[in-house]
Amino acid sequence: MSMLDIWLGILQGLRITAAVTAYGLVFAVPFALVFGVAQFVTTGLTRFLVTAVIEFWRSSAVVVLLFVFYYVLPVMGITLSAMTVSALVLGLNSGGYASQAVRAGLQSLPAGQREAGMALGLSRPAILLLIELPQALVAMSPTFVNNLIQLVKATSLVSLVTLTDMTFRAKEISQTEYDPVAIYSALLLAFFVVCYPIALAGRWLEARVNPERGAPRGI
Amino acid sequence: MGFNLDFALSTIPIIIGAIGTTLLATVLSCLGASALGFTFEMIRRGGGAPGLAVRFLIDFIRSTPVLAWLYFLYFVLPFYGIRLGAMTVGILGLSLYYSGYLAEVFKAGIDAIPRGQQEAARALSLTRRDTVIFVIAPQMLRNIAAPLGNYLVSILKATPYLAILAVPEMLGRAFDIASETYRYAEPLTIAGVLFLALALIVSYGVKRIEKLLLASGRR
Repeated sequence: MSMLDIWLGILQGLRITAAVTAYGLVFAVPFALVFGVAQFVTTGLTRFLVTAVIEFWRSSAVVVLLFVFYYVLPVMGITLSAMTVSALVLGLNSGGYASQAVRAGLQSLPAGQREAGMALGLSRPAILLLIELPQALVAMSPTFVNNLIQLVKATSLVSLVTLTDMTFRAKEISQTEYDPVAIYSALLLAFFVVCYPIALAGRWLEARVNPERGAPRGI
Repeated sequence: MGFNLDFALSTIPIIIGAIGTTLLATVLSCLGASALGFTFEMIRRGGGAPGLAVRFLIDFIRSTPVLAWLYFLYFVLPFYGIRLGAMTVGILGLSLYYSGYLAEVFKAGIDAIPRGQQEAARALSLTRRDTVIFVIAPQMLRNIAAPLGNYLVSILKATPYLAILAVPEMLGRAFDIASETYRYAEPLTIAGVLFLALALIVSYGVKRIEKLLLASGRR
């Protein structure tokens, strides 16, 4: 196999990598919004419970979490496809990180924004939805791009639960071809080709959103 | 089959027995990543062709998954006749991967030092080496304590990746039990709980140390 064949072989797994990422976002985005906002608006016991759920998803090691859900859910009588379990675990882990950006974005808004909303007679939910969230989400958009890159990279884990993503394809090819240098360089390159444009988009966004912060901080 | 709680509890001592390996991998990887990340940042700051090459390398590392790096080192090094134990390869992989992130941490830490410090060092005709060691590094350390602590927790959460290279850390030990007993749910759940607890404890400790450092920094 030539270098090009190996590369094309690995790219056959791109469909699964993309599918897990997209499916993961279905879990990540609502989780980040709901829990980020909930942590911002709640107090006392409710806030403690919200924080506990967030901490479970973001403080757990994602490798371990994936295996736990993959093996434990069937024992509990819940059978989900490897794809769904992976999307759920990777998505909620990523959503846990993003929820902190949502909360931090809301907290860093000047109090005058909310007070102005109140002065206009808007309800609390309306202030949140129309005034606070739009600003917080725009300000935090570079962080969300970073979260997305981390999610794409984390999808390499699904190769361990039988999904034929790019990493799995690399391992498959290495069973028939003894050419580890070409195969694993190609795997790294394949991820680079996917993630680097996203990183560049993130830098562009960072420069647009926070021009005063000077040099973009990178990926 | 169901979840056997007694069996799960019986695996706790066996899995905790591997905590030393987990912590050793964490500490060594963090040291390796710091040393490499600092070196990268110094080369990048130096500019010229090496600076550009390192800049690209950092972007490349940050755009690729840690699992792909671990496979790369694990299979490519022996191809060139370099035979290392799985633990060493794992620590090298984590060091390399996180060096890309720590280089950015060092960059931010150095950028935050007022420009006058370097100018004063030059006015005193300190050599570049002495400037870095006696002027830049001590001030940088306080600036980077918080992000460095966060990455220490991230590295801790990445050590279960080493189980994939058959390193007998906590997740690896859980899989050993699973393959001996054909029961996956219990040992993996315990590993999940232990990793979560460990991550929470370490991140609490990191926050305490940060507070102490900040307090000692106020003159």
